[in-house]
Amino acid sequence: MTTVKDLPREDYFLSGHTACPGCGGAMVVREVMKVLGPNTVVYMPASCLLIFSDMYPYNAFKVPSLQILFETSAIAAAGVKRALKRLGKDDTTVVAFAGDGGTADIGMQALSGAAERNEDILYVCYDNEAYMNTGIQRSGTTPFGAWTTTTPLGSTSEGQGKNEFKKDVPRILMAHDVPYVATASLGFPADFLKKVDKAKAKKGFRYLHVLAPCPVGWRAESDSTVDLAKLAVETGIFTLLEYEDGVLTLNREPRFTPVREYLKLQGRFKHLSEGQIASIERWVKDKWERDRALAKALGPKPKVPVAIVR
Amino acid sequence: MIEMKPAVKLPTTGERRMVTGDYAAAWGAMVSRPQVVAAYPITPQTMIIEHLAEFLAAGKFDAEMMRVESEHSAMSAVIAAEATGVRAYTATSSQGLALMHEPLFVSPPMHLPIVMSVVNRTVASPLGIWVEHNDTMPQRDTGWMQIYVEDGQEALDMVLQGYKVAEQPLVELPMMIGMDAFLVSHTIESVDLISQEDADAFLPPYKPVHAYLDPQRPMVVGAAAPPEYIQEVRWETDLRMRRAAEFLEETDREFGRKFGRTYGGMIETYRLEDADVALMTLGTVTSTAREVVDRLRAQGERVGLIKLRSFRPFPAERLQDATAHLKAFGVYDRAVSYGVGGPSYIEARNALYDTTTMPILSFLAGLGGRDVTPQDVELMFKKTLAAAGRGRRASGVHWIGTRGVSP
Amino acid sequence: MAAQALAVAASHDGYSAIAFPFFGAERRGAPVLAFTRFGEERLRVRTQVYEPHFVVVLDESLVETVDVLAGLRPGGMVIVNTTRAPDRLVLSKKAKSATVDATTIALKHTKQAAVNTAMLGAFAKATGLITLEGVEAGIMEVFGRRLSKEIADRNVAAARAAYEATRLGEGDSGRVYAKATKWLPTAQELPPGLATPPMETPFGRVGVGSSPSNLTGGWRVNKPVLDGAECTNCLLCWFYCPDGSITRGEKIVEIHYEYCKGCGICAAVCAPKAIHMEREIEEEVKA
Ligand SMILES: Cc1ncc(C[n+]2csc(CCOP(=O)(O)OP(=O)(O)O)c2C)c(N)n1
Ligand code: SF4
Ligand code: SF4
Ligand SMILES: [Mg+2]
Repeated sequence: MTTVKDLPREDYFLSGHTACPGCGGAMVVREVMKVLGPNTVVYMPASCLLIFSDMYPYNAFKVPSLQILFETSAIAAAGVKRALKRLGKDDTTVVAFAGDGGTADIGMQALSGAAERNEDILYVCYDNEAYMNTGIQRSGTTPFGAWTTTTPLGSTSEGQGKNEFKKDVPRILMAHDVPYVATASLGFPADFLKKVDKAKAKKGFRYLHVLAPCPVGWRAESDSTVDLAKLAVETGIFTLLEYEDGVLTLNREPRFTPVREYLKLQGRFKHLSEGQIASIERWVKDKWERDRALAKALGPKPKVPVAIVR
Repeated sequence: MIEMKPAVKLPTTGERRMVTGDYAAAWGAMVSRPQVVAAYPITPQTMIIEHLAEFLAAGKFDAEMMRVESEHSAMSAVIAAEATGVRAYTATSSQGLALMHEPLFVSPPMHLPIVMSVVNRTVASPLGIWVEHNDTMPQRDTGWMQIYVEDGQEALDMVLQGYKVAEQPLVELPMMIGMDAFLVSHTIESVDLISQEDADAFLPPYKPVHAYLDPQRPMVVGAAAPPEYIQEVRWETDLRMRRAAEFLEETDREFGRKFGRTYGGMIETYRLEDADVALMTLGTVTSTAREVVDRLRAQGERVGLIKLRSFRPFPAERLQDATAHLKAFGVYDRAVSYGVGGPSYIEARNALYDTTTMPILSFLAGLGGRDVTPQDVELMFKKTLAAAGRGRRASGVHWIGTRGVSP
Repeated sequence: MAAQALAVAASHDGYSAIAFPFFGAERRGAPVLAFTRFGEERLRVRTQVYEPHFVVVLDESLVETVDVLAGLRPGGMVIVNTTRAPDRLVLSKKAKSATVDATTIALKHTKQAAVNTAMLGAFAKATGLITLEGVEAGIMEVFGRRLSKEIADRNVAAARAAYEATRLGEGDSGRVYAKATKWLPTAQELPPGLATPPMETPFGRVGVGSSPSNLTGGWRVNKPVLDGAECTNCLLCWFYCPDGSITRGEKIVEIHYEYCKGCGICAAVCAPKAIHMEREIEEEVKA
């Protein structure tokens, strides 16, 4: 199993990319690529990642990469994999790195289709909780209360930040009963690397949802990325979990640090009222109750005998 | 008693059977040996993918078949497969093609020679399932080659020819092959089902020249690009579309030498040499129009016919030569560019602007799947004959067979 | 946003004005171009500005690689954010110059290294074409409306301070620049479909794995400094650095500066505090 010390020196996502200083997304991609190694093909949709790593004539990947459209990460990766199979290169890992918008919103249809067909790809969503590339607009995974440019502040009920709670994408993927679903945070390297390792080793559809703090969009200091990734977990806001062969495991019991500790580091939450903060606290509590119940309820998935007639 | 002429023996190289146009297209796809097929069902294309699935299930065909969740994904999957370096096929129709509009733009600049059969069907609203060309015509500027066929045999043959042209290293453009809903897709007729052996001899395996994804030979395929690079890519794509014309002609001749059937390349003419006026048609109306030409000829009218096979690349030079002796020219379209006229009429006027001052008339008929009868076609000829020799002023747009509208 | 604020300022002062960014891969800290045109008559040309009367340089390190005076009109002026006096600037040719230490001013007033509003104050002072009131109006309009009154106020304070601190003089010539810096192949030379393997060009590598051609170290405001004696070789900084700017050694890590954007993450994750961040002052080597 890979630990920080065993990680190769070699990078497959290189310096000279143009992500903002302290970009969590760039960190996620760099670490995942270290684990995946050279026998990999990368797909990138329109996103910050595309712009900071694939602006012609430069490209930050040491392995082949494909880019076509925004909402096509899962299907394009699947198409690549199917073709590689025909070419006798089934051992090549095909990974799609997509943002939360490209995953939870516009890309959900293709994602669900690919998951249901159990396409043999690794799908990594780096969740920076908004459409960052287009300038910080809300997405389905933007948390409750957060300021974005499409949930700006004002005196009406429309001016209090985002009015809805974060879409639970991993749970949607679990409902597809794919071989592997996991969430990860940069704040917990051992857990993160263990999951990338597992995801790499498995066959079939694998989904990793990684929280990727964005100093620009979250209105935070550029050196706070790792702290934010830790606090998101320790406050209970972001749950580290793993869903494998039908069994759901909650990987870490958080300390339940007060959510304010996390919120106060981010300008996007500066305006929150006491009421809104209470709502977030309540949401965290309910989420943990539900997820615990879910973990208890979800046993190994029924083994259906599959007859293959030849 | 009714007299019947003896049947003409049609050239046959494989097995001749009575099949639908969809079956013929599926057969053409099968013997082209695509490695990846991705598709989504839509009437009247469904039978194409059903047949491919049957071939696959029966072990006659070997490919990765992706039963995807939308046409957007079908097109994206074949783009990705081609980008990886294999031959890929898909088929769609109408709303499905409209949903593909976004990914259609991707493959031409990227040198990805996909072939797709499109059963031409009306695009809502109103919703209908019958023939109209308002699905393919709006895809004009996506960079796809566009061919219109007349029957099941041509639907089959063009898949093979399509890959051959599309995969030319100097072309590397995708091709859509339009076949009229029901009139081709669901019509049973005698088709020469080309054998795998003959197909292989005509169409060699695909070897990607410029774009592929291989960790041993890494390459960036698809990138964001600043203004410094995009215009050159546009120019180069335009160049390949111009070049494709020559390969379409040559490939059709080569096909003829092997299979005994040719289609005239980008256009086919019928009794045109000594004609005073001619009509240009595309799709199945062409068959009916041949019949009408014979009838009018029997009545002493000097009329001829041009079948437009290739809409992109547009055969401007061949049209200029073919129409040089005409006194009037009618152009039939099964789609309307609202407020202007038929799409191929617009193209024809543009192509002929430098070479002729004869009147060019636009005829719109059969929209939404309405039958275009011999009487309708005869009326188009009559109107064209009446305009003969009257100069450009006699041009105009005519709606044929529209209740309450004089043609 | 500074270009827009300048246009608003010019408009406030009665000129006809337009501004637009060159919309590139704009990330925080990355070099960007933006243009403002203003004049007494209605402006019609909507293109980038190729022959400016004034060039405002927000990041001094840029003058090392970019000939910022390339299109400057005779008699034009360059306004640079630097700690240096105007007479100590060395550029491609002699030119009227104005300088101000906008970074220090911005850090003081806005607690951020975003110097654009301070530079507006410098522009007003250096050119005399725009009033300080105009600049305030521009900042209020562009920053106040989008962010908040409080942020706008702090930026106005920065602009005022910069106005006072701006010095005028004449810069020296003598710096030599490479002729072209960009790979601009013809349509025939471009890889078909832009499908590009690793390729060497006279301007460096392009295609797969080519991003190291792009030295991002110039974006930095603060730089990480390692105290080797304190390093426990835990490798967290190496793991986390988003820009791959830290390498592993035998006993301790090493920081490299070609790509380091100065985010400060390495310092933040270092438990023994072996890394600290320092304000980076350009040390000029006279060309
Ligand atoms: C069909 C389509 N709609 C909209 C866009 C514009 N667009 C490009 S990237 C982007 C946001 C990406 O957000 P996300 O997926 O979260 O990635 P991030 O930029 O935040 O990393 C949008 C809306 C597009 N490229 N294509
Ligand atoms: S905006 Fe956020 S996600 Fe995008 S490059 Fe900058 S830090 Fe990374
Ligand atoms: S400050 Fe540290 S973490 Fe940030 S880019 Fe520089 S070396 Fe890397
Ligand atoms: Mg995002």
